[in-house]
Amino acid sequence: MMSRFMLLAPVAWRNLWRNPRRTLITLLVVAIGVWSILVFDVILNAWVTSSREASLRLLTGEGQIHATSYLDDPNVAHRMSEPEGRLLRALNSPVVSAWVRRVRVPAVIQSEYRTRAVTFLGVEPPGERIVSDLPSQVVVGHYLRDSDDIGIVIGRDLAEKLKTRLGKRVIVMAQAADGHLAERSFTIAGLFDGSQAAQDEFVFTGLHTAQSALGIGHDISEISFDTAPAASLNDIVSALKHAAPSRGIEPWTALSPLAYAMESFSQSYIAMWLAIMFVLMAIGIINTQLMAVFERTREFGLLQALGMRPGMILFQVTLESALLVGIGVLVGVLLMLITLVPFRHGLDLGFLAAGAEMFGAGRVLYPHLDPGDAVRYSLIVWALGIGAALWPARMAAKADPIVAMAES
Amino acid sequence: MGAIIRCRGVEKIYRQGAVDVPALRGIDLDIESGDFATLAGPSGSGKTTLLSLIGGLDRPTAGEISVDGEPIVKMEKNRLADLRLHKIGFVFQAYSLIPVLSAAENVEFILRLLDLPMHEREARCKEVLREVGLEGLEKRRPSRLSGGQQQRVAVARALGPKPAIVLADEPTANLDSKNAEELIALMAHLNATSGITFLIATHDSRVMAHSRRRIEMMDGKITADERQDATVAA
Repeated sequence: MMSRFMLLAPVAWRNLWRNPRRTLITLLVVAIGVWSILVFDVILNAWVTSSREASLRLLTGEGQIHATSYLDDPNVAHRMSEPEGRLLRALNSPVVSAWVRRVRVPAVIQSEYRTRAVTFLGVEPPGERIVSDLPSQVVVGHYLRDSDDIGIVIGRDLAEKLKTRLGKRVIVMAQAADGHLAERSFTIAGLFDGSQAAQDEFVFTGLHTAQSALGIGHDISEISFDTAPAASLNDIVSALKHAAPSRGIEPWTALSPLAYAMESFSQSYIAMWLAIMFVLMAIGIINTQLMAVFERTREFGLLQALGMRPGMILFQVTLESALLVGIGVLVGVLLMLITLVPFRHGLDLGFLAAGAEMFGAGRVLYPHLDPGDAVRYSLIVWALGIGAALWPARMAAKADPIVAMAES
Repeated sequence: MGAIIRCRGVEKIYRQGAVDVPALRGIDLDIESGDFATLAGPSGSGKTTLLSLIGGLDRPTAGEISVDGEPIVKMEKNRLADLRLHKIGFVFQAYSLIPVLSAAENVEFILRLLDLPMHEREARCKEVLREVGLEGLEKRRPSRLSGGQQQRVAVARALGPKPAIVLADEPTANLDSKNAEELIALMAHLNATSGITFLIATHDSRVMAHSRRRIEMMDGKITADERQDATVAA
């Protein structure tokens, strides 16, 4: 087999360049196809990662614990006590990297001019700095200092809508534990940037301040937690459910279905794109090889007349395709690297900000090439390319040696 | 010497649409080992068809053919390819070299199919190219060789594996007189020195003049079969 390869490989290589223009066009088709598949894969994965991070690093975390039925009706009545006993031990285990308590209820915020519906959160600022990116997104003023902070942090966009600003006072109204309307005045301590939806929806104060305002003692609405690297989220969720069977414990996949759907379907999207690209490439490959075989029918007959077995002719034509597609794949990979290198520090989608946000992604995507994906898709294209060329190769192998006797 | 090629009752009928066109009508022929024979006759007489059947490139409609004692009519395709590789050298009318290979590579290609070791291949390649007078042109590709030189490469390639038989189909048809004369003389010389059997289908009276046996064909039949003295001593 090796000796046959060594015999036929140089011939196959030279045959490719008998018609350089045709070979170059096919190379280009394969290269562009591979390039588009790999770039699509990298961008889509970056998008999925961004979408997940945008969701998880906002408030979701990798999982949350609530009172049962809180997710169906997130009001103050569906609160829970602070974690203790087995649940506290489970949360403090090494597989949970961080966790925070929150009060989170629907509310209305009012400035001198306007009123808006919001979600009012009482948070533990030191913990939030670990599990959320929101504290770092404060662009005017400052984030909350501790759980007793009596200031309020709102979105910059919400401040504009309320026609208010840093240092001004706003009133937050929400249903208190006793069923009455709780009303409290806050001074705006900071304005945060970020996604439009987050800016419009969330307002933050210290955990104890919120508990006091709502009259819920030390009760909380939710616990958000992150897992340690390499820890299994499913195992942790199972352990927490075992520790607190009466509470609702959900992984991020249930809390952020859009981000999860993006991740779940990304492989399907790539497979669909690969299929579309491959059909286009296959047309080019088959066309090139058929032309090459038809042009050389007499030569294949001659080779058989000289004593070459049909199987070897099939091998030779297949080898030509393998070389052709293989080079196209390598060029495609090279083009992909050239395309992505300028964006290795991030691809700013500022010009698509609204669209990106609609799909839950952040403003900046960070392309990351998974070498495994690059190798896998390259090999798939290569193998499929060789497969597509088997038809012309079989035609070559079936060439009648009698044609070698016919006068050209 | 015994017959290296034996044909008995060989018939070949081509079907063209609904019409059967007989190309060979009951050929009986023995070619002795070491012979230098020509198949002569007008176009359509069946020379090329007979040559292709003897070379195993096509199968007869009826009859038996054996080459070097092996019946080939029902031989499987791969075995036929092996038989051609080991025992039969072909020289075609024209355009029979692999265009992407140099003269030496064209010869060596067949030797590599035979799995000969490199040193043997190189020595044999050099030897046959010298025999056909192509020293110094080994690295030239066919496109940079004249028609006569290309036919010499084809002869060298046919002789490379030391076949028992060389079948040549109108080898001088595309050559000018000088090149044709030289090629004929070369084949006659090789026949005389190596003992390889040559069977040549030709119109060319110069080729016929060199042959020791002249087989005339007409309408798919052998009409004359005579031994003669070669014009030019090898």
